[in-house]
Amino acid sequence: MGVNSYLAHAPGYVDNEGPKIVTGRFVHEDSHTLARSLATGGYDGLKRALEQSPTSIHDIVRDATLLGRGGAGFPAGVKWGFCPPGVWPRYLVVNGDESEPGTYKDRLLMQRDPHQLIEGSLIACYALGLSQCFLYVRGEMALAQERIAIALNEAYDAGLVGTNILGTDLSVDIVLHWGAGAYIVGEETALIESLEGNRGMPRLKPPFFPAAIGLYGKPTIVNNVETLANLPWIINNGAAAYKAFGSETSPGTRMFAVSGHVKRPGVYEVEHGTTTFRELLYGDNYCQGIRAGHELKMFIPGGGSAPWFFPEQLDLPLEARPVGAAGSMLGSGAIVVMDETTDAVKACLRVVRFFARESCGKCTPCREGTSWEETILQRIHDGLGRPGDIDMLLDIADNISPGPYPTAADEANGLDAVPFPPKQTTICPLGPSSVAPITSAIRRFRHEFEAKITARELIPVEATGP
Amino acid sequence: MTAPTDADVVPVTVNGVEVEANAGELLIDACERNGVYIPRFCHHPRMKPVGMCRMCLVEVDAGRGASLQPSCMLPCTPGMIVDTESDLTKKAQDGVLEFLLINHPLDCPVCDKGGECPLQDQTMAYGPGESRFVEEKRHYEKPIPISDTVYLDRERCILCDRCTRFASEVAGDPLIHFQDRGSQTQVNTFPDEPFASYFSGNTVQICPVGALTAKPYRFKARPWDLEEVDSTFPNPMGDRVNVQSSRDRVLRIQGVDSDATNWGWLTDRDRFSFEALSHDQRLVTPLVRGDSLGNATDDGDELVATSWAVAVERAASAITASLEAGGAESIGVIGGANLTTEAQYVWAKLAKGVIGTDNVDAQLGDGLPAQVVTALPRNTISDAMAPGSAVVLLVDDPKEQFGTLFLRLRHAAVEGDITIVELSPIASGLGSLVTVGAHARPGDVGAVARAIVDGRTDVEVGGVEPAELQAAAAALAARAVTVIVGRPSVAEQAGPIIDAIAAFTELESVSFLPLLRRGNISGALDMGLTPGMLPGRTTLAEGGEWYRAAWGTVPADSGLDTAGMLEAAVDGSLTTLVLLGADPLADFPDADLASRGLAACRTVIAVDIFASSSVANADVVLPAAGFAEGAGTHTNLEGRLSPLMQKVNPPGTARADWLIAAELAWALRADLGIESPESAWAEIERLAPSHAGATVEQVRAAHDGLVIPRPDDAGADRPAMVSFSAPVPTEIVPVDGYALRLVADRRLYDQGTIVQHCASMAHQSDLARISMHPLDAAALGVRDGDLVRVTSARASIELPARPDRCVPRGRAVIPLNRAGADVRALIDLATVVTDVRVATL
Amino acid sequence: MGLLDSVRGFGLTFGKLFDERVTTEYPAEKREKSERLHGRHVLNRYEDGMEKCIGCELCAGVCPANCIYVRGQDNPADDPVSPGERFGFVYEINYLRCIHCDLCVEACPTEAITESKLFEFSFTSRDDAIYTKDELLVGDDGKPQQLPWEDWRDGEDQHTSAWMRATAPSGDASYEGRVAWAGELGYGTRDPEVGQSGGDGD
Repeated sequence: MGVNSYLAHAPGYVDNEGPKIVTGRFVHEDSHTLARSLATGGYDGLKRALEQSPTSIHDIVRDATLLGRGGAGFPAGVKWGFCPPGVWPRYLVVNGDESEPGTYKDRLLMQRDPHQLIEGSLIACYALGLSQCFLYVRGEMALAQERIAIALNEAYDAGLVGTNILGTDLSVDIVLHWGAGAYIVGEETALIESLEGNRGMPRLKPPFFPAAIGLYGKPTIVNNVETLANLPWIINNGAAAYKAFGSETSPGTRMFAVSGHVKRPGVYEVEHGTTTFRELLYGDNYCQGIRAGHELKMFIPGGGSAPWFFPEQLDLPLEARPVGAAGSMLGSGAIVVMDETTDAVKACLRVVRFFARESCGKCTPCREGTSWEETILQRIHDGLGRPGDIDMLLDIADNISPGPYPTAADEANGLDAVPFPPKQTTICPLGPSSVAPITSAIRRFRHEFEAKITARELIPVEATGP
Repeated sequence: MTAPTDADVVPVTVNGVEVEANAGELLIDACERNGVYIPRFCHHPRMKPVGMCRMCLVEVDAGRGASLQPSCMLPCTPGMIVDTESDLTKKAQDGVLEFLLINHPLDCPVCDKGGECPLQDQTMAYGPGESRFVEEKRHYEKPIPISDTVYLDRERCILCDRCTRFASEVAGDPLIHFQDRGSQTQVNTFPDEPFASYFSGNTVQICPVGALTAKPYRFKARPWDLEEVDSTFPNPMGDRVNVQSSRDRVLRIQGVDSDATNWGWLTDRDRFSFEALSHDQRLVTPLVRGDSLGNATDDGDELVATSWAVAVERAASAITASLEAGGAESIGVIGGANLTTEAQYVWAKLAKGVIGTDNVDAQLGDGLPAQVVTALPRNTISDAMAPGSAVVLLVDDPKEQFGTLFLRLRHAAVEGDITIVELSPIASGLGSLVTVGAHARPGDVGAVARAIVDGRTDVEVGGVEPAELQAAAAALAARAVTVIVGRPSVAEQAGPIIDAIAAFTELESVSFLPLLRRGNISGALDMGLTPGMLPGRTTLAEGGEWYRAAWGTVPADSGLDTAGMLEAAVDGSLTTLVLLGADPLADFPDADLASRGLAACRTVIAVDIFASSSVANADVVLPAAGFAEGAGTHTNLEGRLSPLMQKVNPPGTARADWLIAAELAWALRADLGIESPESAWAEIERLAPSHAGATVEQVRAAHDGLVIPRPDDAGADRPAMVSFSAPVPTEIVPVDGYALRLVADRRLYDQGTIVQHCASMAHQSDLARISMHPLDAAALGVRDGDLVRVTSARASIELPARPDRCVPRGRAVIPLNRAGADVRALIDLATVVTDVRVATL
Repeated sequence: MGLLDSVRGFGLTFGKLFDERVTTEYPAEKREKSERLHGRHVLNRYEDGMEKCIGCELCAGVCPANCIYVRGQDNPADDPVSPGERFGFVYEINYLRCIHCDLCVEACPTEAITESKLFEFSFTSRDDAIYTKDELLVGDDGKPQQLPWEDWRDGEDQHTSAWMRATAPSGDASYEGRVAWAGELGYGTRDPEVGQSGGDGD
């Protein structure tokens, strides 16, 4: 097992040549055990953090400009500062409900290095003065749940979690919560509802964000798994060392899960902000290009809910702001690559079907709109489309996300990019997410839709009435 | 003089016009108050916003650029610019309605809601002309019963979360919820658990489509058939209702949102009670004793139909004969608590002013003396539950008996900063929302109240531990206290309760809400349908002269209560008894005395709407008008007067109660001088000390009713109202270590006349069971469902047992008026409490 | 006025004397009824015998003469009267009040009530004037029942769907002149009339 190859014990992970902040231990087959963790510097970050004041830890994180890895890319240090003063208790919730189509980085982090996550959570709790942390792990991730459970037990036994951690005053309880399997619970307010034992449905955020009123009505910080996994390294090496990687606005490294028609799909830890899509998809250290004999047709830069990119956007850096300005989002770091053999209608249908099935049923436009979109796309795909269907799809999409939807520029047709984010008539972005593939596909590949509609196999009976 | 502060008023621009909103007010409400209606489905003013339907999206610019925002979740902020008519808003409304309709079955012609459906109305006003949806709609089995009275049609449901929020937020019965995801999301009950809520009918009323329909109204009429009138439901809360009828039959009762009382809610028992009104066993013609051939001969064994003239003449001659033979004291009147306040006055005038007897009692041994109830300083429900106040509960379980008050209490306990101290002998349906459960042992509640008031909380008193006593004292300290007081158990005399009242009157800031059974009991006590009292909360001694001047005669001495009248009948000194909607055989705590008393009377005259067991034994039966069949005024527990309106005609020749009294007076050669409910009210307003200034016009005009006594001093020249004086405390009965102390309480569905004449409710009355603490049950070797023999000093009965952790140790609870076993057999009215021994069979 | 005027006036009279007669020997002989004549109502059935009426009361609601009384009821699960949840349990039309405006027919969502061309029914009592559901319902053969006091002629029971929308569904003018309902109306159908919209196609 050399560098720059798949690791047999970590399926999906590619050990490329590059800085390793969160995947450093992945090369070891037993990286999930406490023994290996301690032998490779595990919990050193926590020890070092405990030697400093909580405020200085918060300052280090703020200085490091650690961006949230869940999708919105909001700086974690700033988010931590949003709790209203004087309201206790407060909670830390670790969002391990990774379920964006195409994303599988958090799963690897939880399976391969649960102690790093626990250590990161403890550092966050110490910095924020919290004593209760909830680890919400997606229902389907059985191995990750098992590994975290074992790791938590080991850590409790070793005095690393619980009361008086490492002999200090810090006492933190970490509760592992298994989700019941719902994409929407990845949305932080829905996750909080689910943790409270309710049906996972999002709450309306303005005026109250979870940092102000969250779990059980108390201030709650919700952080992504990868965000917290960065903390031990940052504390060990300092904010300056962290900022040495990546770009100025997006320092550090970031995990990207590439899937689809590339030669070597997998999870890569990539320098944030400096690497471009082209390097990631075509570089020898990375995906090594599109599979032999084919060429890139489109790719989704940030998970199923992101608008699609096309070959023109390949030279954009892997950084939230330029990607957003170009009409899409980096999201959870899932890149789905499709070559010219892909049927745009079918790809669109496939993504929309996911959102239709995962809609929680709360907001009318999402509940009814996504499944209507699905049925129309299915009809077009089955060769039963009607001439007005494309415009109708766009109009339904407009009723879920009013106004121009973010899309990439199409220079050939003289169309400019519409920057992210979209507007929405729903509480959470799930409904508008279902619009992303529709607007992207129709704008670029309208001819494919039209071809399916005109080449219909069955002629429907003429509708009654005029 | 300080300038008014503008801090709580924020300027908001709505469609180009600047309006004033209250700070924190939701935009949808502020717009509506200012005449701009925003369509909505999920928003309900009495429930928390949820933002589910997205119908109320409007274009709002709150300083960060215009965007679509749900106005039902958006508090007004200064300078907000709202456009409810912009193209963006209209497109969103159009889009949401199209989404709602794509899977809606559009079976409006067969849907009960069709014609009064918010979805129909708002589609017409805001929706798209036609649908672009050509696929097959979503299908479910329709309709499915989710409770005894409610059907659910999931195809019609638009998932607004109103019913589910009502169930969990308002009623506290979270028995319906969403299932599945996406477009398959549906409301349903949990498997094998029906939506068994006492308040399920409210979900039908608030459903914005026809997804929830009520069995009693199902397919009975269409909305355009219905005529309606706002009225008051004659329960002690005085719930405001809308009575709807078609073809002279009441077909539906809906709650009306009154801030002061029910907030639009109703219990199922009240909501569906109209079924009894059109029951074919209603009394429709006067009945007198006659022979089996139907001849109205005086000596027959059968009740036969006759004319009003014959029946009234029979009644009048019986009264005259008793007057001549035994004087006015040989005549008694029991009941009258379900009459309108006017009819109560007219009957009081007939009994006390014409016949001259003071043997009048609207309560059947299960109430509190009027001299106590009418003398207490009263509070309003809203003030009692204002944030920062405290409530003491010494009544029947409000969830079982006074449902809408329970919902108010529940809301106050969940949302407001109030403390609730429960002194009732067993825990109520409020459960853990109660701050302190100091459940006093029957007979000891006076001592418990005294200990709390005096702060003697270091030793156990009346089955309440020191910790609870301290907690109760702390919960009442420095708060405005309202004592909601009634008779939680007829197996305990009124004495200990009055002692508790006397103790609480010593608190610094205290007021009371007397919560007694029977619809218009407050009115009956105010109108003097009780021994020793005259209309207007005054006594015979204080008001005798005043009323003698107005009526001609008034009894000199205080008369007998119901128990006294029945005993007098047994010993022959009372010969004629009038039952005003009273059924002593089923309702008086001593069934044996009631039966002997009625049998011994020479003449029993019954005025009722159904032939109850007591009516069946009467000599003259006069059919009366029921709810919605006559007009008048209702008095609720606060003393709030609100109008009762007539909607339909009484069946057959049944007459209004006040008219029956006037007829009877005429037959007794007296003229009451009353020609209508209005003229009766004018006389009440002119004479009664407590009703001065409450004119009929004022009562009719006030949406939330009018609380008496009025604050002005219009009644300054009238007799003084009764004042409270603490009686000699009742002695505490020592505890019998081998016995359990009996609590005889009441449940929502029982063998009562109205419930049993409602097809959808009659079967919901369970069998009688004895409940006791699981440890007591274990000590006695009793398991769940075991048949046990319960023995008191008087009798023994057999019934199944049920261990129940809500019953404190040393007590046994048997509900009254349930099939299977009659707990009244055990009760001796002469003893303060009833101890029972339980043995397995 | 001269003599010549009288002669001219009588000229018309005598001139017409020998024209074809337009009067008929009613009731022995009847003229063909107008296509749009509104006569006595019928309640239709589906081909499988189920009643079309669902008891929705829209006819009663729209009736300007208040002559229709309908009450619905739950369909018995084991022996349904009509398709769906609800059926017309009571259906009465009072012909002392009915003005044959046909609004009931337009309001009916299931085409359950239609009008025949029969106007010759001379009842002699109030009870006979109130047609009940049993009398209004068509028989198993789809033909209207012929009550003793009704003067049906051969073939007249063919025309039970003699109606035409006066207004278009949802107010959509382009529906004018089109058949906007199914073809199995009652017993026998006919083509829509033209000439209402004044368009080129008329």
